[in-house]
Amino acid sequence: MRISSRRLGVYAVALAFAIVVNFILPRLMPGSPVDAMVAQLGPRATPAAVEAIKARFGAVDQPMLWQFADYLKGLATFDLGVSVKYYPQTVVQVLGRSALWTVFLVTTAIIFSLCVGVVLGAISAWRRGGRFDTIVSPLSVIMISVPPVIVALTTLFVFAVSLRWFPVGYAYDPNLDPAFNFTFAGSVFAHAILPVLTLSPFLIGEFQTTMRSSMISVLGEDYVTMGRAKGLSHLTVMFGYGARNAMLPVLTNLALMLGAVFGGSIVTEIVFNYPGLGLTLYTASIARDYPVIQGQLLLMTLATLGANFLVDMIYGLVDPRLREAA
Amino acid sequence: MRSSKSLFRHMSMRTGSAAATALTALTAFGTGSAAAESVLTMHIEEQTSWVQNFNPFDLAGRRQSTMDFIYEPLVIFNAEDGGKPVFRLATAYTFSKDMKSVTYTLRPDLKWSDGQPLTSADVKYTIDLMLKNAALDTVGVGETVASVETPSATEVKIDLKAVNSDFPETLADLAVVPEHIWKDVSDPVAFKNEKPVGSGPMTELRRFTPQVYEQCRNPNYWDAASLHVDCLRLPQISGNDQMLAILPEGNMDWIGSFIPQIDKTFVALDADHNGYWQPPAETVAFQMNFKSGNDGNLEAYKDLNFRHAFSLAMDRKSMVDIAGFGYPVVNEHATGLPPRFESWRNKQAEGDKDAFMGFDTEKANKILDDAGYKKGADGFRTTPSGKPIAFPIIVPNGWTDWIDAVQIAVEGLRAAGINASVATPEYEQWRKEIIDGSFEVVMNSRADGATPFRGYYQSLSTAYGGRITGAPSRYSNPKLDALFDQYLQATSDEDHKKIFNDIQLLIADDFPVVPVFNGPTWYQFSSKRFTGWVTDKDPVMNPEDHDNNRMRLMHLLRLKPVS
Repeated sequence: MRISSRRLGVYAVALAFAIVVNFILPRLMPGSPVDAMVAQLGPRATPAAVEAIKARFGAVDQPMLWQFADYLKGLATFDLGVSVKYYPQTVVQVLGRSALWTVFLVTTAIIFSLCVGVVLGAISAWRRGGRFDTIVSPLSVIMISVPPVIVALTTLFVFAVSLRWFPVGYAYDPNLDPAFNFTFAGSVFAHAILPVLTLSPFLIGEFQTTMRSSMISVLGEDYVTMGRAKGLSHLTVMFGYGARNAMLPVLTNLALMLGAVFGGSIVTEIVFNYPGLGLTLYTASIARDYPVIQGQLLLMTLATLGANFLVDMIYGLVDPRLREAA
Repeated sequence: MRSSKSLFRHMSMRTGSAAATALTALTAFGTGSAAAESVLTMHIEEQTSWVQNFNPFDLAGRRQSTMDFIYEPLVIFNAEDGGKPVFRLATAYTFSKDMKSVTYTLRPDLKWSDGQPLTSADVKYTIDLMLKNAALDTVGVGETVASVETPSATEVKIDLKAVNSDFPETLADLAVVPEHIWKDVSDPVAFKNEKPVGSGPMTELRRFTPQVYEQCRNPNYWDAASLHVDCLRLPQISGNDQMLAILPEGNMDWIGSFIPQIDKTFVALDADHNGYWQPPAETVAFQMNFKSGNDGNLEAYKDLNFRHAFSLAMDRKSMVDIAGFGYPVVNEHATGLPPRFESWRNKQAEGDKDAFMGFDTEKANKILDDAGYKKGADGFRTTPSGKPIAFPIIVPNGWTDWIDAVQIAVEGLRAAGINASVATPEYEQWRKEIIDGSFEVVMNSRADGATPFRGYYQSLSTAYGGRITGAPSRYSNPKLDALFDQYLQATSDEDHKKIFNDIQLLIADDFPVVPVFNGPTWYQFSSKRFTGWVTDKDPVMNPEDHDNNRMRLMHLLRLKPVS
């Protein structure tokens, strides 16, 4: 599948812009990593020790241009530097540790919400103005607008702290060691339920709204009328003819929403002490851990760009109208 | 994360939202499966993920169970026992006649956890390593030690650069490392020491995951007879709010956390076993910058009348009750002597000298009026020479209880016509302003030693002024410096006491800083699985399990599993 060179150009510019912003942003924050490092030493750090540490990490006090050159060189070799907070671990190690959990959380939430949201959207469109529609659609608007932090704290308080139905934190029971068995998998699943439920309302609302409007326009198409005329069952027409084709804008929307999902996952992970990228980013920000912050923002940018790129490609495949005559 | 040591306690208060509660499901431990083994679950530090780093020289990165439990000190000093020594790896230390050197005698037959002998050579190796590499100098030997000799396998002779009778106390923070392991470490600063070989009771890492780690019994521990705990278990807890959620699970044994409304949120969960003792710790005081670049402010700071009025504007009781949840204790002594050092108190340095330590806005205003601080049209006073006075009081962002206390102080100062305000820079920035001297006024505590001397010396001597966060005021008084020197050169307890009496008198009279309260120590425990906890009925030592309290080792050795 070919993608137009103009689109590719847009991606290249976006990437370059992201790389530059990614370099500048952390440096606009007050405080420097060396200060942060020294602050971590606490009150018992002797002046001599402080001087020695400063001398050792003096590289961050280099002129900006040098830093930028180093940064680009690092990017090219996938060397994102060494974490300040988790020194001497490298940024790749720190992010690798947590990326897995966030990908797991976000993917699960997206798949779950997609199933629920699309079905709800399809039904509301099918009977638009009906009782189902008048309840579900306003509900979606509410779900989209409630900040994730509220949802996170509420679910935590109700289901974990008060009712004790679910664990209140961690990615799995700390007594277990990671292994491929049912006990461990079950523990991971149990610990993921609340974080996933926290991320889902926003997604379900978005999917439902997009699906509904897209479905309404599809239902006006000739081939749907044709399907009905054939006397096919409601379900077949609704899902086989309508929903299938109405899914395209939902996919586009998904790619655009990735950033928001990451944002929501930061809050969720902090509240549920879930060892993903969000919690790592939060800690890194507090500790002025530039290398980790940079690596992480870059990762998120690449993920969002990559997802859009993927959607662009898939679009061409699934929408016959966009298929260029080869 | 800790202003002096309060950094910990305040980081742990970063999020004031008790309602937000928490996390951490330590789903019930395998019940009864390990009946033969006693595992103590403790909380020392807050992190979002455990990193396996047991390098004792890495103050920032080391796990806070590294000191004491893996690397045993030579001698510990017990503040709750008049600063008396508790001998550990060493059995004695003696100063030479001229006080220019101190010789430590090690226990015979000490072994490292890998079975190798621990000798004076290891002590010499460690100190030399720190002398060679300032980044490893966690104790400050670079400033005090000239050289180290080993007259025998059990004797270490340390030659000092200057007479310093306080030296053994500073050396309590020394982690002696095994030469046979460390000599092959190419970069000791970046070394993570993932499988430590140590001298303390808990050296064996049985498990290490990002969520929990376990440190178990050292097979070659010299004092094994006193040790009744088999393993320490440290679950990862990322903050205060998480702590609140974990408490109902009832799996924590030894906690060092800030728990709001502790009787309701902790003790009530299991009234038979849950307890706490939070005795007052170091003194928190307002310190003015005696090297301020602002002429008006500087003129005011340097005037004893102004400092007295400042003190009278402090509503200490509200600071304790409203800002501190009632946990701190009001300090109404001009000397600022912490309650834990009651036995050192000089009766001559209190009474009428404490006349300026109450809360009396009227009196504060009168003192300022009489001293010529005229109020302008805006209601704020100027100095007797007519310069404006206006200063922000800095307090780190996120230290909610301290911020509240500073706000109460600012209200009081404004009521006395002093134009004060609150500023909340990030902790790193706050630290920087103190060290580079660009701040005006700060509320700060200082690190206490086993005797009150260190706290005063390191916050008010010219030698320390502005060099560490505990000494922001840059106060410089030759008379006081002379007393400090005398103290460092004296060796007998009587002399120390006598000199410290004079120090108290001088400080009460000159009133360099404005003491307000003493923060609590953070210590909670459960006697469900272990007994022997230090309590207020048996206040023999500082009970905290934090990294700044060497006595936590002795606390561990008191504990016995409930059979």
